[in-house]
Amino acid sequence: MIHALEARHAPVVSVWVWYNVGGRNEVPGTTGMSHFLEHMLFKGTPVHPKGDLDRLLARYGAQWNAFTNEDVTCYFETVPRDRYGVALELEADRMRNALISIEEVEAERTVIVSEREGYENDPSFLLGESLQAVAFDRHPYGQGVIGSKFEIKLMTRDGLYAHYRRHYAPNNAYVVVVGDDSAESLVERAARSFGAVAAEQVVAPPLAPEPPQMGEKRLVVHRAGGALPLVQVGFHTVAASDPRAASLQALGVALAGGSGGDAASGRSSRLYRALVETQLATDVDASFGLTKDPYLFTIEATVRPGVTHRAVEDALLRELRRLADEPIEEAEFARVRRGLLASVAFPSDTITWRAFRLGSLLSSGAASSIGAWYDALARVTPDDVRRAATETFVERSRTVGHFIPEAG
Amino acid sequence: MVPIAGLRSVVALLAMEAGQFFEPAGRPGVARLTAQAMLRGTARRDASAWSDALDALGASARLDVGSHAAVFSGQCLADDLGAYLDLVAETVVTPALADSGLEFVRAQALADLEEAKKDTRSVADQTWRELTYPVGHPFRTRSIGDELVVRSASLAEIRAHHRNGIHAAGSVLVLAGALDADRAFDVAERAFGAWSGTEPPDRAVAPVILDGMRRRAVVVPDKTQADVVLGWPGLPRTDPRFTRAQVANMVFAADTFASRAGQVVRDQLGLAYYVFSSIAGTAIQGPWTVRMGVNPENVERAISVTFTELGKIRDGAIADDDLALARDKLVGELEVGRESPNGVAGMVLEAELFQLGDDHLERYPRELRAVTKDDVVAIARKLLPLDHYALAIAGPEIPAS
Repeated sequence: MIHALEARHAPVVSVWVWYNVGGRNEVPGTTGMSHFLEHMLFKGTPVHPKGDLDRLLARYGAQWNAFTNEDVTCYFETVPRDRYGVALELEADRMRNALISIEEVEAERTVIVSEREGYENDPSFLLGESLQAVAFDRHPYGQGVIGSKFEIKLMTRDGLYAHYRRHYAPNNAYVVVVGDDSAESLVERAARSFGAVAAEQVVAPPLAPEPPQMGEKRLVVHRAGGALPLVQVGFHTVAASDPRAASLQALGVALAGGSGGDAASGRSSRLYRALVETQLATDVDASFGLTKDPYLFTIEATVRPGVTHRAVEDALLRELRRLADEPIEEAEFARVRRGLLASVAFPSDTITWRAFRLGSLLSSGAASSIGAWYDALARVTPDDVRRAATETFVERSRTVGHFIPEAG
Repeated sequence: MVPIAGLRSVVALLAMEAGQFFEPAGRPGVARLTAQAMLRGTARRDASAWSDALDALGASARLDVGSHAAVFSGQCLADDLGAYLDLVAETVVTPALADSGLEFVRAQALADLEEAKKDTRSVADQTWRELTYPVGHPFRTRSIGDELVVRSASLAEIRAHHRNGIHAAGSVLVLAGALDADRAFDVAERAFGAWSGTEPPDRAVAPVILDGMRRRAVVVPDKTQADVVLGWPGLPRTDPRFTRAQVANMVFAADTFASRAGQVVRDQLGLAYYVFSSIAGTAIQGPWTVRMGVNPENVERAISVTFTELGKIRDGAIADDDLALARDKLVGELEVGRESPNGVAGMVLEAELFQLGDDHLERYPRELRAVTKDDVVAIARKLLPLDHYALAIAGPEIPAS
């Protein structure tokens, strides 16, 4: 499926290919296969041997990369306008013709282990991975994306190749092209590039939904490799295609703003005021991700030195209850709404991010266009946010994780 | 002012001469504390009212301390530009800088410092700075600062740094996006027109010369990956050789795939997930470093291979295509960078801040294309010596080779 948007403000085009394969398509023991495969798609095809693609795109000054998450594997190139035909041709070529040799699998294995080890240095990743595993009993979302070091070491070339042939086909992908050409021309050139790639019978066995959680779950991760304690809370919630998805995005902004990190925006949010301004936490974030299947509404707080996990957790849960119990006042909702709409408008002024936004909406099922998503956000009312809080922040569907740094 | 048709927002960058270079000598951390305290309310509004005003616009805002400048950066919807600039001006010109604000950001900074002690990238970076820059040099400490300074900084000190560094003279405001240039000038003039102040005298900093190889490994417990920083004191952004150095940097290690060291360390040998190099653009010699994340078993080999590739460049063993690739990539990145208002604003800001000339953006691609193999070899021999460097490693214990 090809989708295009004209964006004339810079002589640049961004080409994205979204494959419907990620962590949710894996089974225990081979978790991380989609991500490993993503690395192997940079190792060449018969027409473009290894290094060709890297050097060609580098020569154009391209911004290009790939990522894998629970739902999709995604590749993109943002290139000068007169080079986008090359980007389309490269993507069409590696859709079916990647070489994936035994030698390259072995060489890349250590890189992926290194990537995993880099994540393991981060306490937030360690706790998040464990929380995800505890929160899901049945659904593969509990397995994460990168796989364990043992799984990465056991991955075989034949297994990777079979995974590639099974999932990489035009009828299992979205092609998104955004940039400095007419929409008709962008679609036409993409269709010409991918038209020669044959469709495959993609077998995607139905996934059983995660059964309802019947009570709070708790976990603790101890490790010396972190300085500050963390509290994470995950609540089971709905998929991106659910009509309540826009309200849940608004709920995230109401709780912790839209930017996070060191940005000063979002400091009028509920959790920033209740946790950071009161000096219980140094940082707080809340997010509802757009996923194909129901996932988690997650909240993370970094506990300030000298404060207990319990104090932060209690204050956090109190604020969630307050949002469910008390109506949001007009002035506060006006800020939430403005932040929500800006969170769509700002990234969309960058061609790469506009393409990313469209692809993520399409592949997750959240909306058929950026405009439709913007409209859905604009329609959210204070009552919708309150209802979303009431439905989501339920004790029995909650998983709470504590990261406790140890002396070392 | 850079109008860009077809957008809905405006990006604002305001660079002020209040970065590390302008920090009071021996007081690392004061610049960042000042910047953070400036976001805690103004003479007119307390911290809560200030946050309400910013979020009512749906705008973003941050104030970062770099090696040269303190940069206020943010984005607003086009219709809000006037109100946004009024708020930005109020923030930088008349911040409250109250006791409560300082104590809040001090506590935040101390928590950040605590986290940095267990973060292998931060530890490697700080260790490299200590190996490279002498005591008292503005870049010896990361902008987050020294714990003793953060603990002891007084309100008077913060206010003095604001008075000395945050002034109209030497500051540069760039706006890019959905704007009309004339109207944007008017609203900027209304917001900042009364702002005054004179530039402080330049800080005298002696050139840094490494007298040999300096190496230190710091064990950070319970980590699985080591972070490595290998580097040299670079050259000022205004040095006429800077463009040549950028091409040399690209040939060497700037990119994982387009550069020699990146290709060999990651792509050919699979030794690291990330490897890249960069040269800081600042008024004096900023860090010129190669950084990589490596399994402890592979640290020595990754470093050795990096030096081998550097040696080849110094010996002139540079394939014509490698040099052409480096030049093409740097020129192409300028074009692709125009895809975002942030990218456009950043390019304009750098040219203005370092007074690179009104025609810099037009001239710069030509200058990149004019760099020769001899230029790259000369830069590598002069600025990237194989026997004078600093090397910092942070992470698990490195096994004896």
